[in-house]
Amino acid sequence: MAASTTAPTASTASSSPMAFFLQGETGRNTRGLLRLIILCTIAAAAVASRLFSVIRFESIIHEFDPWFNFRATKYLVNHGFYAFWDWFDDRTWHPLGRVTGGTLYPGLMVTSGSIYHLLRFLTLPVDIRNICVLLAPACSGLTAFASYLFTSEMSDSPSAGLLAAIFMGIAPGYISRSVAGSYDNEAIAIFLLVFTFYLWIKAVKVGSIMWGALTALFYGYMVSAWGGYVFITNLLPLHAFVLICMGRFSPRLYVSYTTWYALGTLASMQIPFVGFLPIRSSDHMAALGVFGLTQLVGAAEYLRSQLPSKQFQTVIRSAVLLIFVVAFGGLVLLTVSGVVAPWSGRFYSLWDTGYAKIHIPIIASVSEHQPTAWPAFFFDLNMLIWLFPAGVYMCFRKLKDEQVFIVIYAVLASYFAGVMVRLMLTLTPVVCVAAAMALSQILDTFLVASAPTENDADTKQANGTPAGANGSIADKLSSALPDTLRSTKSPLVGIYSYLSKSLITGAITSYLLLFVLHCTWVTSNAYSSPSVVLASRLPDGSQHIIDDYREAYYWLRQNTEPTAKVMSWWDYGYQIGGMADRPTLVDNNTWNNTHIATVGKAMSSREEVSYPIMKQHEVDYVLVVFGGLLGYSGDDINKFLWMVRIAEGIWPDEVKERDFFTQRGEYRVDDQATPTMRNSLMYKMSYYNYNSLFPAGQAMDRVRGSKLPADGPQLSTVEEAFTSENWIIRIYKVKDFDNLGRNHQDATAFEKGNKRKKTSAKRRGARVLRVD
Amino acid sequence: MEMRLLLSLLLAGLVSTVAALSAQGSKLLVVLEDESEKSRYSQFWTDLEDRGFQLTYRTPKDPQLSLFRHGEPAYSHLLLLPPGKGTKGLGPNLTPNLLVDFISAGSNVLMALSGEQSIPSAVSSLLLEFDISLPPDRNSMVVDHFNYDSSSAKESHDVLLLPGKNAGGSKKGVADILSVDGILALPHAVGAVLGNASPLLNSIIKAPATAYTYNPKEEQEGVEDVFATGDQLSLVTAFQARNSARFTLLGSVEALQDAWFDTTVQHSAPGSKSEQAANRAFAQKLTGWTFKELGVVKAGPVTHFLNEGSQQNTSDLTTLSDINPSIYRINTEVHYTIELSTWSVDHWVPFTPPASDAVQLEFSMLSPFHRLNLAPTTTPANPNASLFTATFTLPDQHGIFNFFVEYRRPYLTNIEEKRTVTVRHFAHDEYPRSFVIMAAYPWITGIWTTVAGFVGFCALWLYSRPEKERVELKVKEAGGR
Amino acid sequence: MKLLPSVAVAALSLTTAVAAVGWSFEDATLTVQAKSSGVGGAVKEKLSPESPLSDPVTLSASDSLKIVLTATEGTTGRRPHQAFLTLHEPTTGLVESFPFSLKDNGKGKVEFTPKDLPYQLASPPSGVALQASILIASFGTSAPYNHATFTLTLPPSPNEPLTAPETPERYAAKPEIHHQFRAGPAQPPRLLSTLFTFAILATLPVLLIVTTALGGNLGHVSAAFGAAPVAHGVFVGSLLAMEGVFFAYYIGWNLFQTLPVAGVVGIVAFVSGGRALTEVQERRVKGER
Repeated sequence: MAASTTAPTASTASSSPMAFFLQGETGRNTRGLLRLIILCTIAAAAVASRLFSVIRFESIIHEFDPWFNFRATKYLVNHGFYAFWDWFDDRTWHPLGRVTGGTLYPGLMVTSGSIYHLLRFLTLPVDIRNICVLLAPACSGLTAFASYLFTSEMSDSPSAGLLAAIFMGIAPGYISRSVAGSYDNEAIAIFLLVFTFYLWIKAVKVGSIMWGALTALFYGYMVSAWGGYVFITNLLPLHAFVLICMGRFSPRLYVSYTTWYALGTLASMQIPFVGFLPIRSSDHMAALGVFGLTQLVGAAEYLRSQLPSKQFQTVIRSAVLLIFVVAFGGLVLLTVSGVVAPWSGRFYSLWDTGYAKIHIPIIASVSEHQPTAWPAFFFDLNMLIWLFPAGVYMCFRKLKDEQVFIVIYAVLASYFAGVMVRLMLTLTPVVCVAAAMALSQILDTFLVASAPTENDADTKQANGTPAGANGSIADKLSSALPDTLRSTKSPLVGIYSYLSKSLITGAITSYLLLFVLHCTWVTSNAYSSPSVVLASRLPDGSQHIIDDYREAYYWLRQNTEPTAKVMSWWDYGYQIGGMADRPTLVDNNTWNNTHIATVGKAMSSREEVSYPIMKQHEVDYVLVVFGGLLGYSGDDINKFLWMVRIAEGIWPDEVKERDFFTQRGEYRVDDQATPTMRNSLMYKMSYYNYNSLFPAGQAMDRVRGSKLPADGPQLSTVEEAFTSENWIIRIYKVKDFDNLGRNHQDATAFEKGNKRKKTSAKRRGARVLRVD
Repeated sequence: MEMRLLLSLLLAGLVSTVAALSAQGSKLLVVLEDESEKSRYSQFWTDLEDRGFQLTYRTPKDPQLSLFRHGEPAYSHLLLLPPGKGTKGLGPNLTPNLLVDFISAGSNVLMALSGEQSIPSAVSSLLLEFDISLPPDRNSMVVDHFNYDSSSAKESHDVLLLPGKNAGGSKKGVADILSVDGILALPHAVGAVLGNASPLLNSIIKAPATAYTYNPKEEQEGVEDVFATGDQLSLVTAFQARNSARFTLLGSVEALQDAWFDTTVQHSAPGSKSEQAANRAFAQKLTGWTFKELGVVKAGPVTHFLNEGSQQNTSDLTTLSDINPSIYRINTEVHYTIELSTWSVDHWVPFTPPASDAVQLEFSMLSPFHRLNLAPTTTPANPNASLFTATFTLPDQHGIFNFFVEYRRPYLTNIEEKRTVTVRHFAHDEYPRSFVIMAAYPWITGIWTTVAGFVGFCALWLYSRPEKERVELKVKEAGGR
Repeated sequence: MKLLPSVAVAALSLTTAVAAVGWSFEDATLTVQAKSSGVGGAVKEKLSPESPLSDPVTLSASDSLKIVLTATEGTTGRRPHQAFLTLHEPTTGLVESFPFSLKDNGKGKVEFTPKDLPYQLASPPSGVALQASILIASFGTSAPYNHATFTLTLPPSPNEPLTAPETPERYAAKPEIHHQFRAGPAQPPRLLSTLFTFAILATLPVLLIVTTALGGNLGHVSAAFGAAPVAHGVFVGSLLAMEGVFFAYYIGWNLFQTLPVAGVVGIVAFVSGGRALTEVQERRVKGER
């Protein structure tokens, strides 16, 4: 495969000792072999650079979603495929439960599951956890290979593919989601994305049903693996549409597109979670529309070839246009009438960044849905980001079908990457490809050892480069040159001075080295921490591991009933389910806004209000994250406003965000805090007994940097059950109803020994006589 | 800890089966002011001892008086006689908190008061925890100028005569446990007012409509403002905590004295003849209820199973293959059974709810989807329990549900049986197949027609011989392909 | 509970009949003083110990009711220990009493406004009037007095309605609940489905007829099988076999049974298909197609 992609034109005018290896049949083989070796080393580098997390910390599943994927994979491995398919999970979203089998993308789990079984079959018993931890790096190796193939389709420079491969291999933008242990859909999805694009380009080029079918196959795999498949679903039609508009409609396009759409749609509908979306939701309507359009255009083309009459063509054209318009109107009608689901909220938030904040706070509350800060681009892509435009420009210079694809991809992806941090992921591949094309152009031009000679100038009017590898550059340049230039008496184009060659080459080399350096640094420092375990530096510079999360989760696992329901904010649902193995009320799969709002209400209301809610949901323990002691800023008090907002969305008259701000609109936790704030369950649970750590009146919150009231909050309906070493996790047990039917405030007051006043027995308002 | 608890439970069980008539235990602690009082209640003591109680007498100041031993209640029951004159409280070993802990630990308390002696503030503050409030001035008593014993209290009118059959109220759906025949005499009773909110409280005996409280020391001339009047005054009050521990407040301790056990009383209403007071029988009922001889209900095994297929309408549960499964599917029929029995004298007998009352099963997630009255039947398998059964279809909503039987009724111990089951959705292969749905036939035929068409097309493609004159075009097509 | 008042009433009826000396009252006047109107605007009624007032007294939210009387034992005015104005709400049977404040000569008065009443009495169910009776009794032997004297109606005040306290929980059987099931999916008329089924089936013969009409035929079967018998046989067979696999999957196979078989059949079809199509190609080149 590698050898076949580039067919070097053996040049005659050369006689170096290496000639034998560099020319003719043997030369092709040598280069093929070299390429293979280089690719393998690239893959190795890609994998190796992702093992930092394992070396720095341990072989552990990372942050949040991976924990669910891990749990689901274990379920798949233990109970078999069909049990997984029909899985009703009664340990999340208590008491609603979740039809997990039908609401997840099974690709990831099934992949690692089959790897597991394959290894067992090969008598290599490997722990499923290790497979899950190492799946992402393994896939990154494949991604590098796929991007090599992809780029090789784009430019016929032999080095472009390899450059793209290594860029893709070590670009932080992709590493951020694929280090060892981040066992997430993206890990495998990016490989599928790139490979599907490769197959698509191949199909468009060759115009064969087989490639189209393969595209559909891998598209189906992609659908089963990641919700981001919608990107492909809209990008390929867009490509086809643009080509048609450019008047580049061809049987090749027709065959490849129709094949892909028909088979791909069928394949995608096999995933329960997707089901009938491809024909019901607007996100997929573009593909359908273009499918219809290709049919029309195809018919028109055929007719035109049959009867070449001028008026008839215009008739055809207008007919096509008319039908297209009618179809579009029909689609709009269907959408309005509700047969076709309107665009999903997440989609809107892509176009209007303010949309989510107003309409869907849940989505807005997710950190990775925030708009990207511009330094992130440089941080994640380093020098590629400025090579990227050059590469896109190169595409314009030679605008074949596949280059059009790159251009479209580049435009869309860079917009999306600007809107959402996490979509940096979809940008990275195209950046790598474009940058590789630009760089390879430079290298091909400047890495030619010998100067062009006069005599063969007329035979090849470009820099007649002797070495076979560069022989093709002549054609490339000639094709690259605008016709206007070439029409003039062809000048001698080429680099003569070794100085400039060495200068440029040196500069590029140093850039590449810097790039590698940057990537390594970013990977090891920024993207390798499994946010389950926090690392901090001691004064002497040595690393200190803060392991409160696991400490608390294992406490739950070992000290509570297996059926004890744990209420926490949804961020920690997956981890509790995965590490503590306890039922949770809400988790990171935020499918039920109302349920999350209920938890938000319980957290942000007074105890008397929260207690009935917790009792109704059979809550046994409440878990809060508190960073005040350590200065850990990602704690619940900082997330508190989101809980309030989400709750306010459902109960606008019971929970009001305004009540949590002081008169001057500040969000405070010290003695200036509003009564609503200080009476909220979350506040009480966070700061309960906190000032016992400090001398009287000295209690200090290191995150908010504010001094706390002298007398801490009092709790009556819950009691402290566990607090982790650094107070990051605090677990409270919900009390049972009072045995004597009192409310908990009175009960605790009585236990504290102060007598109840007679007046408290008398109820305010009109007296009420006892009726039996 | 668990070990000792287990042991004590075991012992309690043994004792209760062997000797005591109480369903809980026989150790009864009696706290009285001094030994001299003891003689006044001799008949009462003998009644209790005949019923198998082991009485221990202590005075509040007794150093070895302690409600707990090794953190466990030292006695199953406690009988508190009113403390003597001028005592501030019940002493250091009977503080309100200790008594509340004692009750929370499941033990029962009978507290008797007297209008003759002033009530310590500790007692009234303890009672406030039960939402029972006593008159503010410490020594007040209930009088009724319409229903008094004209033979003993011709002048003072402070011996109330009340019909015994009203004891425990005569409400529909409430078990009639405490009513006795004849007339009760309650001398120098202290009336209490019960909070309206608490469902744990019940007034066993209310004062007559014309009764009122006054302070015999200060309000000789007449009452200007009264604490409470009429049937808002509760003379005998029953409180049953959530853990079924019982607390009874008897307004008039004299009613238990020998003097009032076998005396004849005469109602103040003219023409009413004198008769024997029914105090003794009432005292037995009252102590019987307080000390868990009466109105004790317990739940036996709970079973539920899928009432479909092979095990449909199974009467003999032992033949069931899959009993008490942890997961069901929506829209399936389920059979539920719970065994209830009640304590009678010295053994368990089948329980039957009082008239116009029913044991109810809730099938609930967040809120009940079903609430069904269970039909009582008896089973030959277990002669001393009655089966309460229901058969119903699970709701068409998946989730984590509870079979929940919560039977809380006045004067009966609480039953709370919760069984959690998962109700799952249809699995992918549990829907009706397409060939049993008439509406699917067009689609099925569509598929197989296409298949046939495809095969036909292949055959045509492979084996069709063209007419001669169209050869050219065919070839051109072939080239173009 | 209902019994006790009746006992009392019986008792007192007897006493009034028999006992010579008994408690009673005289020159009693009832005044309903409206806060708005002055001294003049007050309703006055005389109460007699024997017969209750014929028409009910209305007491609206802002008014205050006042009764002045002289309690008598026999004929002499004396102060009784108990002199109550008792209000009785017939539906719930709740009773609330207001003691008279008395002097030694038996003169006394009681005054209250609706705000002094407990909730249940202050807002009785509409159309229900409170039974007001005066109750005079004391220690000793003389017969007590308890008579219904008038009925009191309390019109609900529109401007400040009383806040109803939440109904207290009492343990009792609750009403039954039965889950309402969603209606199943609607089916189209069977006739329609059968009609369409046959319509679709009809397309197959139509297709055959049209193709034959356009000159489609299987004339080359012999030639093809002559040239490459194995290839053609296996290819066509594998095509049919693949459909068979699909059918088996539809009937009852699961993925793990289907996929391997489908894979094998597919490979066979691929290989043999290649051969067969080359044979077709040869024919085409020969112009026989």
